[in-house]
Amino acid sequence: MNASTSEPPSILLVDDEPEILHSLKGLLRREFTLHTAETGQQALQILRQVSIQVIMTDQRMPQMTGAQLLGQARAISPDTIRILFTGYADIKAVVDAVNEGQVYRYLTKPWDPDELVEILTSATLEHQRRKQLQAILQTARGLCERMLQSDLVGGVQDEVTKLNDQIQQINEV
Amino acid sequence: MPKLPNHEEANSTALRGDPAEQLAETRRETAWVGSFPSATAPPSQRMKVLMADDNEVTRLLLNAQLTGWGLDVIAAKDGKQAWDLFLEHTPPLVLTDWVMPGIDGLELVRRIRAHASEHYVYVVLLTSKSEKQDLVAAMDAGADDFLVKSCDNQELRVRLREGARILRLEQKLAEKNREIRDAQAALIQSEKLVSLGQLAAGMAHEINNPVAYVANNLAVLNRDVSSVMEILDAYRGQIDQLRLVDPEAADKLIELEQSHDLSWIQENVTPTFVSSLNGLKRVRDIVHDLREFARLDEADSDTVAIGDMVRSTVAVLQHLISEKEIAVTVVDEKNPSIECRPAALNQVLHNILINAIQACGMRDRVEIRVDENDGAVSVDIRDSGSGICDKDLPRIFEPFFTTREVGRGKGLGLSHCYGVIQDHGGTIVVKSKLGIGTTVRIELPKQRRSQATEDCK
Repeated sequence: MNASTSEPPSILLVDDEPEILHSLKGLLRREFTLHTAETGQQALQILRQVSIQVIMTDQRMPQMTGAQLLGQARAISPDTIRILFTGYADIKAVVDAVNEGQVYRYLTKPWDPDELVEILTSATLEHQRRKQLQAILQTARGLCERMLQSDLVGGVQDEVTKLNDQIQQINEV
Repeated sequence: MPKLPNHEEANSTALRGDPAEQLAETRRETAWVGSFPSATAPPSQRMKVLMADDNEVTRLLLNAQLTGWGLDVIAAKDGKQAWDLFLEHTPPLVLTDWVMPGIDGLELVRRIRAHASEHYVYVVLLTSKSEKQDLVAAMDAGADDFLVKSCDNQELRVRLREGARILRLEQKLAEKNREIRDAQAALIQSEKLVSLGQLAAGMAHEINNPVAYVANNLAVLNRDVSSVMEILDAYRGQIDQLRLVDPEAADKLIELEQSHDLSWIQENVTPTFVSSLNGLKRVRDIVHDLREFARLDEADSDTVAIGDMVRSTVAVLQHLISEKEIAVTVVDEKNPSIECRPAALNQVLHNILINAIQACGMRDRVEIRVDENDGAVSVDIRDSGSGICDKDLPRIFEPFFTTREVGRGKGLGLSHCYGVIQDHGGTIVVKSKLGIGTTVRIELPKQRRSQATEDCK
């Protein structure tokens, strides 16, 4: 899980205020591959075209609110980690979004730059963890099928042990 | 206050003469006298009556009688003196002879009616004239009652009693009027509060966005400038190499560094960023306090810890507190939660604390004590400021009453507080001593009464 050797994780930032997007780019350009959108529609288009690990959106936007956007994002790209960031007056919307399971974390404006980087990093790690768990589950399903097809239970024992180790390793992250 | 006996009873006492009845009459008389503040009360608390008669014997007699009935008598020997004494004492009750040298009783009545008094003045004209047109003339001039000399003293007594009853009704009416004005003013104020709250909500959001990206930009710039400095240092490390190849270029670079004072820049870049970030943090805190104060995110009615509320109000007023170096202590070991309208209650605490601060001089003290007992909470706000004089103290809850110069205060603050606390089913009491300080005590039930909750919906 050494992020520095591979491509930096992809993050999609959504805010109707270009100044905010510009400022965030400055902060995050080194650690992440950045995509930005000024409307919910733009963001959904990007999600359909590019693999995105984390989406972070403002709540208060014309046409489509952040919570609405995240609801639709979940349908398009279920593995993408969803983060909502909001001004003070939108607490109720956040509570609703969190309760509906659309949101991994929320942040209030103004944010603390260090904290933001930290949260995004942990979100990308969470994404990685989920992906790896899925891969392992996939392998496990394959193994189960092979076990059903043959009686050689002893032959898959080693591979099951290896998978268990991997799961443990991921959970330690 | 004891009630008046009814008319029939009072009238009947005037007609008989048996000793047992006499005694009963005295009792009734005492009971009646009690309807003016008691005969034993100090003169300052008795009802004042101005009595004018140019006949010395009549004056003495009336004086004795009226004093015996528990009235505070101001006697005048003619109309001129009566008018002067009236202006000086503004008594609610006037008993005057008609025929007097100089200013006569009719003229006195006219002057009293033309004079703008704070309260109604009940005037009884006493005269030997008995024709019907005399009565009409007296009543036309503005007299309330007309008595023919020399009347039975019981008749005088009941007539005066009627006067006192009318005065009391008039007083009650004035009180009711004041209550209506209070309620109206509180309504205007609460409407203002709603729009102020909306304004604050909008502002908090609008300020937040720029503050957010400016703070972020500063963090980005700080990091990027540090990178540039690192790169610059690497280049500077090569300057000796450069000198070997192109000494002139190397000198130019050194000169440029000096003219821009590079070493100062390198030393100060980070502190400048840190200071800017601190400034923005303060803006952020102010927005936060404003939001806390206006309770923007909350429903109308909520359960709130009163101590927290007090502290956030103190935070909002910190600039005024610091200005006068006032020592503010909040004692809230008990921090009970109460069901209330937080925005309205915050406004009350805010108003009272502002008053306390304004009453304070340099380095005075303000202590706010939160306590609870038997389903009620109390907040005492005590200051060591200038205090309120006895004359003003009874009027402080009146709408539009203010001691500040015109234009500085609307005089709505405390009357609004009074309304809000009443609406919460609580009480607000102010005690003050001029030169010593003021204590405002608010008591509130933990649970709002259902009536108030209904209103709130």
